[in-house]
Amino acid sequence: MKRTHLAAALAAVLVLSACSTKAGDAGSSGSDSSGVKTGKGVTATEVTLGVMTDKSGVFKNLGLGVTQGNELWAKDFNAAGGVCGRQVKLEEVDHGYKADTAKTLYPQIEPKVLGFVQLLGSPVVAALKQNLATDKTVAAPASWSSELLDNPYVMIVGTTYDLEIIDGLSYLQEQGLIKDGDTIGHVYIDGEYGKNGLRGSQFYAKKHNLTVKEVKITSTDSDLTNVVTGLKGAGVKAIVLTTTPAQTGSAAATNKALGLNVPVLGNNPTFDPALLKSPAAGALDKLTIVASSVPFSADLPKAKDVAAKFKAAYKETPNGGVPYGYAVGEVWGAVLKKACDNKDLTRDGIAAALKQTTSASTDNLVAALDFSKPGTPATRQVYAATPDASAEGGVKYVKPLFEAPEAKEYVAPHQK
Amino acid sequence: MSDSAVSEVDAPAEPQSPPRPRRDLAKPVRAVAWLALLVVLLALPLYLDAAWLKAGQYMMIGAVGAIGLTLVVGQAGQLSLAHAFFLLAGGTAYSVLSGPTGDDRVVGFGLDPGLSLLGAVVVAALLGLAFAPVAGRLRGIYLGVASLALVFLGLYFGQSAEELTGGTSTGRTPAPFSLFGFPFTNDGPEISLLGVPIRQAERTWYLFLLLTVVAFVVARGAVRGRVGRSWRAVRDNEAAAAVMGVSVMRAKAGAFAVSSAYGGLAGAMTVLWFDILKPDESEFGTYGINVSIAYLAMVIIGGLGSVSGALVGALIVNGLPQVLALYSADLGWFSGTGDGALTPILVSSFVYGAAIVLVVLFEPGGLAAIGRRITRKTQEEK
Repeated sequence: MKRTHLAAALAAVLVLSACSTKAGDAGSSGSDSSGVKTGKGVTATEVTLGVMTDKSGVFKNLGLGVTQGNELWAKDFNAAGGVCGRQVKLEEVDHGYKADTAKTLYPQIEPKVLGFVQLLGSPVVAALKQNLATDKTVAAPASWSSELLDNPYVMIVGTTYDLEIIDGLSYLQEQGLIKDGDTIGHVYIDGEYGKNGLRGSQFYAKKHNLTVKEVKITSTDSDLTNVVTGLKGAGVKAIVLTTTPAQTGSAAATNKALGLNVPVLGNNPTFDPALLKSPAAGALDKLTIVASSVPFSADLPKAKDVAAKFKAAYKETPNGGVPYGYAVGEVWGAVLKKACDNKDLTRDGIAAALKQTTSASTDNLVAALDFSKPGTPATRQVYAATPDASAEGGVKYVKPLFEAPEAKEYVAPHQK
Repeated sequence: MSDSAVSEVDAPAEPQSPPRPRRDLAKPVRAVAWLALLVVLLALPLYLDAAWLKAGQYMMIGAVGAIGLTLVVGQAGQLSLAHAFFLLAGGTAYSVLSGPTGDDRVVGFGLDPGLSLLGAVVVAALLGLAFAPVAGRLRGIYLGVASLALVFLGLYFGQSAEELTGGTSTGRTPAPFSLFGFPFTNDGPEISLLGVPIRQAERTWYLFLLLTVVAFVVARGAVRGRVGRSWRAVRDNEAAAAVMGVSVMRAKAGAFAVSSAYGGLAGAMTVLWFDILKPDESEFGTYGINVSIAYLAMVIIGGLGSVSGALVGALIVNGLPQVLALYSADLGWFSGTGDGALTPILVSSFVYGAAIVLVVLFEPGGLAAIGRRITRKTQEEK
């Protein structure tokens, strides 16, 4: 018995030592015949971009939408000739909105890609922050917190949560819905998303002598009746939300049921067209939404074009992630072309090209973007809209892209 | 919880079994088998890619935590759902102790990372001891629910003690680990072994392996010694244990503190693995209820009270989702999308859910009992 065990153990060791060990770092950088420097993720015919998304977790609908937007862009971009004679290929992985899975998948996908066209989920972005900096990999997170901008490799397409709220409050004041000295309520999810929005309220309040009643909730709270009742007691003149769509519905319904009836301001992630089919639908008339990327059925030539292509290619119910995913692709395309002009398709080349991108246009899918100042949001413009079941996409614009004077003055946390 | 589930611990032989002529050989054979496993684990970084090493490290974090939990749940018979809290406590303690001084956003003491790791273990143990008055008075499901309160306390603490945890918005970056000046990152001396550069992934693997081995050896020692006997005596019958001269309160408090210390070590390993300490935004997260339940699942699947069973449990619960995710990315398995699609995450939760049900139904002693039966069979055949 002892011998058999010993033999088995020895055999295992022998088998292990018999196979060759893994190869060292394959540094495949060099230049091709036309003098373009290449590195990880770039071959003679292909440029590979990574997609780390959520196809099975809590944000699977958004993740799928953004991914399909990315795919549509890649198809169009390749049809138009690609970049530097190369076609764009997407390498997709699903982390299920779990940071631990993402952390394991990252070393597998990282050596294959030039950069990430999508990195979905704030816990995932937080967990990979260090890796992106170490590997100098440019990534576009599907997360809009200005706190992320301390990392020069993070490319936020659109404005950030804090600026959305500043612009939104300025719009409410312009409409005469709030005035200096008022008390407003801000309901926020304690976390990267909500706290960043709260920064916006606090900044605007300081400028206009407002009192902000802050109410912290978690993303799993579903009933905001108590919260709104409390705000009524505090005599708020408006309610600001950085919450989930379900929570928005609850807050709006309570606002109406209690006879409070104050204006409600929500930023991009607070609204989902599905709310118009929920019991809260009748209470949404007080809601104003501010956002920098357009809803799926926006009345814009490019958005209509993307929507038509989407309907031809996929069967799933679309959402705002599709035009956003397409827009991120467009920005990546602009950066890739700039890097190609610089004859440097390495990661360093991409980071440099991103800094030189002072005017990335997405045909108005997102406001014009300027990435030249690290730490500073690429745009401060938002549009304002109200829910409207009769409009395509569920919202009706009440003010096209604008930038409030207060937003100009705002200093983002990592702005230099 | 498991008064009858575990009638035997993994002592090599039972007193009642008939004397076997070759029984003396069992011990050295086991030693050789463990040694062989260790050799394989030591060699793996030379063959596996960084992604697989990362997955392996995650399993080792689970192993350390599960060993701690199996001591308190299986050996001392106290159901604890507080493990996630001690993970957070250990991670926070490590980040605070090792964090740089003079940061205006978060508190840091600038201690040596090795010392901070020890400190994290001590802090977690002290917190466990502070819970002892509760742990000593309650049993079974009552203690389970009471300990669950700690997880919610942790959620609140993580969100409000921003100077310590960095807050939910950004979290804080823990100091990278180093031991006597040797960094466990890509910096420092370039080392290569058999042509393989030993960089961050490989170094962290060896560090975690060392911690796991230490955790394992200490737990085995405790289980086999006086401490373990007192735990089991208290588990089986508190009155009888007291008559035999065991201080019931002390044994219970001790078991809880030891298990918390293991949780703290696993927590410090967790922040090192993630490169970030970020408190949870809701009750589900890195330090939430789901994690407490996952650790309980490891312990149940492995066999309550069995230290080596806890290792196997960690392999299944922490390892399966990682391995499936890596394989599916490689082979294109479970690549469906949208509602109702089979994905690695979903498949792995099915598998470990099914494993718990099957274990509880057919093998209450867990995988450890199956292992014991197999070794006994092979011994009897000879």
